[in-house]
Amino acid sequence: MGSRYLGRKLSQAALTIVAIVILNFLLFRAMPGSPERILLRNPHITQEQLEAVRARWGLDRPLIPDQLVDYIASTATGDLGYSLKFQGKPVVDVIADSLWPTVLLIGLGELVAITIGLSIGAYAGWKRGGVVDRVGSGISLILYSMPYFVIGMPLIIIFAAGLHWFPTSGMTSVGGRPTDPIGQLVDLGRHLVLPLVTVALGLIGSYSIIMRSAILETRSEDYMTTARAKGISDVRQLRSHALPNALLPMVTIIAINLGYVVAGAITAEIVFNWPGLGSLTVTALSARDYPVLQGVFLLLSVAVVLANLVADVVYGLLDPRVRS
Amino acid sequence: MRSPMRGRAGRALAALALVFAALLPGAAAPAAAADPVVLRVGTTQDLDSINPYATVEVVGFEAFALTYNLLTDFGENAEPIPGFADSWTREAHDVKFHIRTGMKWSDGQPATSADACFSWQLSLDAIKADTNVGLGYIDPNVKDAGVTKVDCPDPETMIVTTDDQSDRVFQTYVPILPKHIWSKETYKTMGDAKFTAPLVGTGPYTLAEWKTSQFARFVRNPNYWGPKGFEDEVVIQFFKTPDTMVQSLKSGELDYARDPNAQQLKALQSETNVKTVVGAANGWTQLAFNTYGTGTGKTIPGGGASTKALQDAAFRDALGYAVDHKTLIDRVLGGFGDPGDTIVPPVLGQWHVTPDKPRAFDIEKAKSLLDAAGYKLDSSGNRLDKEGKPISLRLVMPDSDENYPKAAAFIKEWYGQLGIKLSTTVYDSDTLTSLLLPPEGGDPKANLAKYDIELWGWSGNPDPNALLQIFRCDAIGGTSDSLYCNPEYDKLYDQQLKAPSADARHQLLAQMQNLIYDQAPYDILYYDANLAAYRTDKFAGWVNMPSNGTPFFSYGTLNYTVLTDATAAPSQPPAEASAAPGASGAAASPGASSAPADTTNTSSGSNTALIVIGVIVALAIVGGLILANRRRTGGTEEE
Repeated sequence: MGSRYLGRKLSQAALTIVAIVILNFLLFRAMPGSPERILLRNPHITQEQLEAVRARWGLDRPLIPDQLVDYIASTATGDLGYSLKFQGKPVVDVIADSLWPTVLLIGLGELVAITIGLSIGAYAGWKRGGVVDRVGSGISLILYSMPYFVIGMPLIIIFAAGLHWFPTSGMTSVGGRPTDPIGQLVDLGRHLVLPLVTVALGLIGSYSIIMRSAILETRSEDYMTTARAKGISDVRQLRSHALPNALLPMVTIIAINLGYVVAGAITAEIVFNWPGLGSLTVTALSARDYPVLQGVFLLLSVAVVLANLVADVVYGLLDPRVRS
Repeated sequence: MRSPMRGRAGRALAALALVFAALLPGAAAPAAAADPVVLRVGTTQDLDSINPYATVEVVGFEAFALTYNLLTDFGENAEPIPGFADSWTREAHDVKFHIRTGMKWSDGQPATSADACFSWQLSLDAIKADTNVGLGYIDPNVKDAGVTKVDCPDPETMIVTTDDQSDRVFQTYVPILPKHIWSKETYKTMGDAKFTAPLVGTGPYTLAEWKTSQFARFVRNPNYWGPKGFEDEVVIQFFKTPDTMVQSLKSGELDYARDPNAQQLKALQSETNVKTVVGAANGWTQLAFNTYGTGTGKTIPGGGASTKALQDAAFRDALGYAVDHKTLIDRVLGGFGDPGDTIVPPVLGQWHVTPDKPRAFDIEKAKSLLDAAGYKLDSSGNRLDKEGKPISLRLVMPDSDENYPKAAAFIKEWYGQLGIKLSTTVYDSDTLTSLLLPPEGGDPKANLAKYDIELWGWSGNPDPNALLQIFRCDAIGGTSDSLYCNPEYDKLYDQQLKAPSADARHQLLAQMQNLIYDQAPYDILYYDANLAAYRTDKFAGWVNMPSNGTPFFSYGTLNYTVLTDATAAPSQPPAEASAAPGASGAAASPGASSAPADTTNTSSGSNTALIVIGVIVALAIVGGLILANRRRTGGTEEE
């Protein structure tokens, strides 16, 4: 891959991230409600106390350039400020605590959905009009249109409240939790099953539908006709010719979706009380915890930009035409 | 040739089936006998802080009351009972509290009157400096009780001096903190003090672990002096949605659910081993009219209400006839609540009175009263104020309650029938608090009180003063959201503070309640209900506190210490059992006690059966795939 191509993509990504940082700063300052009121939550406060708080938090200084410069400088050094909701804990720590539950849930969910979704899509596209196509495409369409809440709630009602197979919510048991590592792993696994199934079901639909149409497109290509004319077996036609070409557009879609892994599926996390970034976003929103919200938005934006960058690079590697 | 794709799929499916089977409950390690008994309580309210001076939420008060004792606690009917002090005597303005002999903090340090004096002095210092400790929700208790001095002459004596002789000194929600841990903090710094788990307290359970927005875990205080509940630990779990909380209660993962909504409560009523409670709340939901200028003649340039009509008691009185409180209860609250009238909720039975001249829903009467007061209709059917301007009111409300927009829709319809337009806007609570403030709120430029009606609610303390003070002139710029001022009311308020007897105070409170009802700066729509549900198959001995309230999240934490083992209940009353052996099972133990064992057995039995079925189905699928694969492989051999 040419270094010019890579350099161009990297500088584009860097510029986008700088723009995001500035936008992130301005967006939260444009919101209604004054931060000092939120900090204090005390209607009895006097003017002097208000001014003291403003001075303490640097809110008495001009927004631009003073506060903006401070913000960019501290963001560059990884200091995202302190949370209002989480007892003054650094925002970076608050986000780090919520990051891995989301990566675990949504990451695994994506993995399962990609595997199953692409398989169903590929098979349905290849055997167009067959049983798998008719049933699979129908189910995929239904799942695609269903929000996580609609998928998750029946699962809780049937498998948690009804059959008592799995816990309704949370990531681990609280109180009386197993102390041995295997017991803890099983405990985590039991808590993970329903949210994971929900996330995977929610994602399978889109992957399956897109993969199906990608396979259908490749089927009419000249190289497929050539392959058939050469007498290559059905399976090899699919695996060696149709799949690699159909997967090309999927790279972008998967990369963008992986960017959203960081954001988490907010509704899925809410339904299952999963302590990830989605839940954190909702908590921070309802507590007007602007430093945490800023941090989450920044992380999400940067993740999407980076995922796109990776997609561009991988695409460039896979398809030489793109590099030109 | 064998298809590698199908082979892989088969293996993956088999592996998945194995993992799935391993995660089913039957495969999990059985609970050891030494596992702690955990009481799990669910709520949709998130804990904001474990620092008692930095919490504004009910769940925050519950958390600190479990860990720390109050000087005197609350009994089953909110009456004072021994807490940090085990007895007390009153001599004129002095109340002498005896601190428990030999009491220890959970870390083993001695708990003495020095701790109590330190904790109360924080509030007294703040009151003296005319400010608050932290967010200002604790020290008003001390101020309201008329406390002027505290003195601890020896480790077992605390003398509290008050400027009146009311019982409010026994209802002060002031947590007694361990001085040996917090002695460096002052009233200025305590609000920002970092409380980290595990906390040291003298309460029945002390906070051991807090995961923000997930759970707070309390463990039994080994040095607790009072009765011991059956549970070894208390876990309060925070839910983002009541739907999941209710399902957790049904599945048995929760023992108590606070505040399910009306539909969920109705659904839970038919659930076995679950008991639902509709408790009277110490609070209300109101329409507060912006009456700024009433009693003072002041105006807010560029702000205030959109019409002077709101300063006219006759206008507000007429609007009161246009709101059907009963319909709001039925249609908005699902039948759970009581129609509102006066500013002391009925749950405070000793002090509540119904109005002397109650208003009944009557749109025609409202119209004629408005006509009579000089608010005529124009040719287009719009009601005009005395300046000849059509009256169009701005109603504001917070986003914290799903019922508010529903109630507002009804009010808009009813006011519309009077020719009064109503626009509604929802704000977050913090923004709304700022919007309601008049210039007296601190910042004359930013605080403009630009609203006409506020739809929101209040909840009070065991003593009605917390709710009564909202209508004082000096609450304008603070808690007042009607911005109402009436020197006659203030005078009555001051008189009742020093009333020589409960009867005398009751008479004064009755006058105050009628005055506010007649003047109508508020239209109290309804007294909310506290809804709750709990399971009866694990814990028994649930008591509502007060008797018309709910077991938890009310006053004090007595209920956490009286729960017993529900499964042990049938063996408890041997006398009845031997007298009538045939009927003993049903008669001796009320309802749930004999049922849970059966339910548990059935449930684990069906689980095992389902696991077996699940594994068989999974194996059948894998087997089927392998067979199909073999057949298919034969078909594609010519490749």
